Amino acid sequence: MRYGGESRTRLLLIILIVTALFLITLDLRGVSILNGARQGTQTVLSPFQKAGSVVISPFKNFVTDVTHLGRTRSQIEKLRADNAKLRATLLNRKNADAQLQQLKSVLDLAGTASYKIVNVRVISQGSSQSFSQTVTIDSGSNAGIKKNMTVLSQTGIAGVVKEVYPTTALVMLATDPSFKIGVRIAGTQQIGILSGRGTRSGSLQLLDNLTTVKAGDVLLARGSVANRPFVPGVPVGSVTSIDNSAGQIAQSGAVRFYTDFSSLGVLAVVVGAPVNNPGDALIPPKPVPTPMPTVTVYVTPSPSPTN
Amino acid sequence: MLTRQLSLSAPIIFFVYLFQEAVVNQFKLPGGGFSLFMIFALLWAVISTPEIAALTGFAAGILMDMSQSSGGPVGQWTLIMILVCYGVSYLGYGDGNINGNPIGVIFFVVTANLGAKISFLISGILLGVATGSFSQILLTLVGNSIWTIVITPIVLPVFSYLHNLVFETRSSL
Repeated sequence: MRYGGESRTRLLLIILIVTALFLITLDLRGVSILNGARQGTQTVLSPFQKAGSVVISPFKNFVTDVTHLGRTRSQIEKLRADNAKLRATLLNRKNADAQLQQLKSVLDLAGTASYKIVNVRVISQGSSQSFSQTVTIDSGSNAGIKKNMTVLSQTGIAGVVKEVYPTTALVMLATDPSFKIGVRIAGTQQIGILSGRGTRSGSLQLLDNLTTVKAGDVLLARGSVANRPFVPGVPVGSVTSIDNSAGQIAQSGAVRFYTDFSSLGVLAVVVGAPVNNPGDALIPPKPVPTPMPTVTVYVTPSPSPTN
Repeated sequence: MLTRQLSLSAPIIFFVYLFQEAVVNQFKLPGGGFSLFMIFALLWAVISTPEIAALTGFAAGILMDMSQSSGGPVGQWTLIMILVCYGVSYLGYGDGNINGNPIGVIFFVVTANLGAKISFLISGILLGVATGSFSQILLTLVGNSIWTIVITPIVLPVFSYLHNLVFETRSSL
């Protein structure tokens, strides 16, 4: 220590220390002037603090990200996982909504005809390697399903139960080439046999050569003995074209199935036929044609010069 | 002469205090962060005469006590900063190996910073101020010291230059 003005410095030091102790005493005794001074300082500082907060906000976020790098990364991973989970939930929800709509339609169809049904879900599409068209449903003999029972979709016939297992069953779709069903034309009650062709279009063969059929006619299931494999009155499809070739014994034609076999989700197996034949009660309503907008153009000829 | 020096020092002190409150305090740094204002006050004291150092400590302490984030009673930081600033200046005054050497200055600042914090804790306990858990205190002390070691060399040239401008007695470090 080679500082010269020691006595003055010590005096200053003592004064400052006494002042500090005085301030502490005042504060501990609750003198309001010190609280006021602190509040005043904060009042002065707050605009600067607000401005500083705005100005350095991007940099602050960067620093916070850097200092919390590990935490931020784990948070991002968590959010990604949550996002994926929510996407899956949303997808399932959409799927469930679609299945709910199908189920409602199936129930409407079965309820109209008083069919006793078991609702099932398609759990597997059959392999196409054997050229058959089948689906596997999630209910079997435990649910009362037996072989040769009618299977309904939301719009009409879907197929017939081919094999039954305790908890599942195999359904042969109406599009299967070996599928055959006795049908009648709604209204005229003419009968025929409809065969699957591997597509949504089936082949119709009428049995009576005196009957006539036209495009747009609705085909319904004629029903089988003891209602197996087919219950009566189930909508099958509509005639799309007629083959009037000469030399044929009876008329034949192509039929478009009501069921969309590409989107089978919920089906119903008819386990009990109605007491009374529903007749034509299940005929689907005809689609309402969409009105085509027309444009009328008015042309007013301009006066042309005469020669 | 002293009046001129103090009048020049005051706006610098206030500016650094403002910077501390408006900018540095915005960052939530690990280990409790650092106090640029305290580093400034201690640096200023180390390279000043004890008389100036005591006054610097007093002004810095008053401002620190006025800060909303100060937990103790008004005057607590004032008392501590007076003693610490005077102490570091008294110990190093005239010794070129300390206040003429950047490493010596940094060492003094870091040590004084730690000493001030510990003094604040002890005096706070005596005055009945809640201090928190021991582990948290230890973490803050260690973190604060590390930050001070990092920050002091960065700001030393700037503060030394300003000190030289005001007092015109020493060469800048």
